[in-house]
Amino acid sequence: MTLTAEALTLGYGDRMVVEHLDLTLPPGRVTAILGPNGCGKSTLLHALARLTRPISGRVSLEGRDLGAYAPRALARRLAILPQGPAAPEGIRVGDLVRRGRTPWRGMLSPWSEADARACAAALEAVGMTALAERPLQALSGGQRQRAWIALALAQDTPALLLDEPTTFLDLVHQIEVLRLLRRRNREMGTTVISVLHDLNLAARFSDHLVLMGRGGVVAAGAPGAVMTPDNLKAAFGLNARVEPDPETGAPMVIPRADGGDA
Amino acid sequence: MSRAVSRPLALALLLAAATLIALMRGALDAPLAVLWEGLVTGEGPGALVLAEIRGPRVAAGLAAGAALGLSGAIFQTLFRNPLASPDLLGFTSGASLAVVAGMAAGLAAPPQLLAAAGGLAAWALIGALTLRRGEGAAPPLTLVLVGLGVGFGASACATFLMSALPLGLAHEAQRWITGSLAARGWDHAGAAWAALAALGLAAFAQVRALEALELGEAMAAGLGLDVARARRGVAATAVLLAAAGVAVAGPLPFVALMAGPAGARVSGARSPAGRLAAAAATGALVVVLADLVARAAVPGVQLPAGVATGLLGAPYLLWRLSREMEKGGL
Repeated sequence: MTLTAEALTLGYGDRMVVEHLDLTLPPGRVTAILGPNGCGKSTLLHALARLTRPISGRVSLEGRDLGAYAPRALARRLAILPQGPAAPEGIRVGDLVRRGRTPWRGMLSPWSEADARACAAALEAVGMTALAERPLQALSGGQRQRAWIALALAQDTPALLLDEPTTFLDLVHQIEVLRLLRRRNREMGTTVISVLHDLNLAARFSDHLVLMGRGGVVAAGAPGAVMTPDNLKAAFGLNARVEPDPETGAPMVIPRADGGDA
Repeated sequence: MSRAVSRPLALALLLAAATLIALMRGALDAPLAVLWEGLVTGEGPGALVLAEIRGPRVAAGLAAGAALGLSGAIFQTLFRNPLASPDLLGFTSGASLAVVAGMAAGLAAPPQLLAAAGGLAAWALIGALTLRRGEGAAPPLTLVLVGLGVGFGASACATFLMSALPLGLAHEAQRWITGSLAARGWDHAGAAWAALAALGLAAFAQVRALEALELGEAMAAGLGLDVARARRGVAATAVLLAAAGVAVAGPLPFVALMAGPAGARVSGARSPAGRLAAAAATGALVVVLADLVARAAVPGVQLPAGVATGLLGAPYLLWRLSREMEKGGL
């Protein structure tokens, strides 16, 4: 599932957030979109899932304009987990996950074998099979986030977009979420695209990084090529060293002690 | 029996019992045996009560209550806010005003059509007043406050129009100011049940859309919904349901507001389809009981049912407001 943005301009009213952005997101890989607050990461992700209409330019999926897909056809190819989705009061984990089957079900078609299999597999993938009957509100933040991811997995799409799936989670749960997304990618070939904040975790768990600054994309490519002091300076205005992570060899960002105004 | 089965069953039994008591009690009591005899033989006082005195009134009350309850639960789910109900949003007042205005203008149109037009007009007006350019839907609380304003305006206009009507018509128009089940015949009950059946089917056909919309607009769009169209369809169905209730029984206050949460509590229903069904049953229960209280509580005095639902609903609204304030929703 190749997603491509061409000359994409996004914004709200008169305020442009992203201008003339060109980007290709590689299929079958784990991609992280990084950048400072307000640079338009989430807006870009929304545009890639057609939640935001471009002011100009276009997004295409498999070479076909995103606008040309019927809503349900698109939802069978691409799932998105927005930030802070709304949980109905008292809903159980299993009932929440079942709603991920919406694009596969007609108005009157009954719950099918395939629906049940997809939900069971999604709960299994996030390790929550035993918690299916629990009310969502009774779970920890990390478990709740995994339940929402299970809903997106139950949608059974070749591409999965996530808006800050690790924000508000502690380190252990962040790693848990990133691991399960990477496992999904390795096992099913799912294209995973997330907006992330933690540079080091992003570099460690992604095949491809998109680093954005105020003006648009600063660099895109393999973590080693993107995470350089110059690119970090351009994107964040941050002076940092980049050293290999002693554990995995992935690039690791270490902000300079003097604040870097030297 | 498991709790999942027994609690909805309890609600159904409660509704059946209330219906029976409503048929038995009143200015002239008709014990069960008399009613049974009337049902079987078609003669005697029991038959008179069933066919003429209370039968159509109770049947109309059941349909009106179910339509209002269903409408309330749909709006509460759609806006994810227990205060979002067609009575607080001004739709029932709009529907009432249209019926009274039709009477004042001497229109021969059926009240169903007038009420539907009035409800939809109130919906359009509130939509226009809360429209914010390029920022999506207004928050529910804004809608409720604007809806209250529109509702009070519509009620005031209806009262004004009523005062200008000749006495006989004004008495009839009173129904659409307070809400009442007096003088309802089988034709009224039949029309109300037909509207309830058609709109109820439409509502349940949209349950999957409602389930997705409940997760927020972005999530619903990601699940393949045309969000704007789905919201319009669901809201229009709920507006018309409220209007169907108003057309037969007037704007019985607070029934739509209370039925959803009370039905969910009693039945223990979790799925939107279950909650909608429970809200319909609870709305019917509340209206039938309110009408029973209104006509049997004070001997010799026939109060409109709307007075009883108002007395029951006002404390509920205050309690609900205090809950919402605690939760920080207000």
